[in-house]
Amino acid sequence: MAVKTESKDGLMICRMEGEIDISSSPDIKKVFDKLIAQKTPKIIVDLVSVSYVDSSGLATLVGILKNMRSYGGKMKLVGMSSKIKSLFEITKLDKLFDIAASEEEAITGF
Amino acid sequence: MFIDIPSDIIHIRKVSSDILSSLSSRGVAEDKLFDIRLCAEEAVRNAIVHGNQGNKRLRVKVACWVDGDKVFIEIEDEGEGYDPKSVPDPRGDNGIMKESGRGMFLIRKLMDKVDFNEKGNKIRMEKKLWP
Repeated sequence: MAVKTESKDGLMICRMEGEIDISSSPDIKKVFDKLIAQKTPKIIVDLVSVSYVDSSGLATLVGILKNMRSYGGKMKLVGMSSKIKSLFEITKLDKLFDIAASEEEAITGF
Repeated sequence: MFIDIPSDIIHIRKVSSDILSSLSSRGVAEDKLFDIRLCAEEAVRNAIVHGNQGNKRLRVKVACWVDGDKVFIEIEDEGEGYDPKSVPDPRGDNGIMKESGRGMFLIRKLMDKVDFNEKGNKIRMEKKLWP
């Protein structure tokens, strides 16, 4: 798993590649902990290159969202595959997260 | 197929890889393979972390076989067992923001049938492979 961060139009885009699971979650958390420590106000998490998410991965994303909300930060998810989106729907996390259809929609919607 | 691993999460991927490899020539759809992998990994993780409490001297035993149009996966730990009905629904107001508790819920949703032995230390899952 790799996370590439990119600052664009006043917000941070985190492009994730690979799998978000019990093995990769600690490293992902470290990347976001830095952004959260800086109180980054707006983050888009691009999941277009993510092929697999397990319950640890879902938990990691929930943790990031919780930490961002603690200082008023906002986070949006974009680019998830239909399979990964179905996991969000089954667990009702699609109601908790702000999921945008495209990066453009996420940027303009902030 | 039988797999016997120590209670260390580094072995989770080996279990799912072996299971998927055993199904690779059967023409199973990618979506179903995703579900089977996810459920096998979640169940093995539960066995390691909750069942065996991460005690590396304790083992997790996995059996996987195909019978007719279904795959069966059994995962047994050496722990005390638990009541699977005691796992709360993670979708409720109290669970939705929690950073754990979705693994068993996903297993129940993605597999066709899930059973436990009386002690609660062995799970048996089954899923139709086709269509």
